[in-house]
Amino acid sequence: MDTGHLNKHISGQFNEELENVRSQILAMGGLVEQQLMDVLTAARDKNSDLAHEVINNDVKVNNFEMEIDQECTRIIAKRQPTASDLRLMMTIVKTITDLERIGDLAESIAKASLRSDISAPDVVKFNLEAMGEQIVKMLREVLDAFARMDVKAAWQVHLHDKKIDSLHEGIVRQSLTYMMGDSRSIPQMLDLMSISRALERVGDHCTNISEYVVYNVTGKDIRHTSAVEIASIIDQQ
Amino acid sequence: MITVTPTGSTATRDLSALTDAETALEIKNLDLYYGNKQALYDVSMKIPKNQVTAFIGPSGCGKSTLLRCINRMNDLVDICRIEGEILLHGQNIYDRKVDVAALRRGVGMVFQRPNPFPKSIYENVVYGLRLQGIKDRRVLDEAVERSLRGAALWDEVKDRLNDNAFGLSGGQQQRLVIARAIAIEPEVLLLDEPTSALDPISTLTIEELINDLKKQFTVVIVTHNMQQAARVSDQTAFMYMGEMVEYSDTNTLFTTPAKKKTEDYITGRYG
Repeated sequence: MDTGHLNKHISGQFNEELENVRSQILAMGGLVEQQLMDVLTAARDKNSDLAHEVINNDVKVNNFEMEIDQECTRIIAKRQPTASDLRLMMTIVKTITDLERIGDLAESIAKASLRSDISAPDVVKFNLEAMGEQIVKMLREVLDAFARMDVKAAWQVHLHDKKIDSLHEGIVRQSLTYMMGDSRSIPQMLDLMSISRALERVGDHCTNISEYVVYNVTGKDIRHTSAVEIASIIDQQ
Repeated sequence: MITVTPTGSTATRDLSALTDAETALEIKNLDLYYGNKQALYDVSMKIPKNQVTAFIGPSGCGKSTLLRCINRMNDLVDICRIEGEILLHGQNIYDRKVDVAALRRGVGMVFQRPNPFPKSIYENVVYGLRLQGIKDRRVLDEAVERSLRGAALWDEVKDRLNDNAFGLSGGQQQRLVIARAIAIEPEVLLLDEPTSALDPISTLTIEELINDLKKQFTVVIVTHNMQQAARVSDQTAFMYMGEMVEYSDTNTLFTTPAKKKTEDYITGRYG
């Protein structure tokens, strides 16, 4: 986020309020990223303590969402922001919703990992770990793009989501093959598929955040827009 | 199934491409000087019919000066000199043949402070009509009711039309002045900071009224209150140091202004 732009209001109080929300959302992003990394470690190492920690920490993510929401509501009521300030408010309110959902997904992965003894076939495990790494990278990059309000970096995240989707499809196909081969593996494979599905959803939330970044900077709503049109909007930057 | 119809287009309208039928007023390359000092620089814009157009900008930016040009109020300032044109029905209002009194009948004006005449409510409303020589009581009565209803004041004053106008509250007085302006059925109504002397509730009443007035009139409003411009106008012009920096749809101007100066002003930043 371009802080040089945020602190130029004539009202010093307004500057402080925006700075406060900004630091809160960055802290929330950091926490969600940590949750995601921890849950992947917990699933990989069968570390149930860490999985429980992730589940317990979700309340912190939820609290961040409520606090930032309230602060944005106060700012809108008191300052009646316009133009870039208004877009920033909308961007923040929407972004924290997606971050909170990522937090929920981390929690559900933690629960799935506790439920089943993940002695999955190596090939599925390997693909799932690779997908997890990609997702953590994607989340980190979108949070960086958000922090710097970097449209081009946000667009790269957007493009990355296609790869995540195909990884997820691959895992689903492999899991089905194993389930058909050995019906005793079905409960376990269903849990693996739900983890893969959760990771794929995290990718979708990252994509949403990248769209908000583009909206905040350019004023253009790129949701439900063709890739060609979006590319031309990005190029204008 | 519920279908949702979008209420506002997000596409930016090109205001310079308005057709003659859609345009109430066209300002062309207007320069204005007070003595040696230039106050307006090459202002050009088309003001659409039956819509509300707002001029915003810091004090001294020329927005009131521009508004006053539209009914030649600046003629009253000796040292004022104007170049360029303002077209009403394709005719330049600064043409020598133009009858200024007739122009001002077509282009009414309301000022910052309510300025009713020291007369009854009734006489305030019919003042312009009497000047035109209308004496028929029935015509005048009708005009009073129509204008006061148009100004959203009728229900509050219908039982005391012969009371002195000074007995009304500030907000009522301002609506009375608007009733007086619309009694002679102008095409264009100029409002120069019409709510800056009023409390927030009276302000909202006037804003609501402005929204009704545009069905019948073309409204041009100067306001210091940016949120008011955002609330009441269809298009907004931002002026700075005598220049028109940006003129576009109000929705666009307040969400994604094209110019940095506009952005700095409406977000309260120092440039």
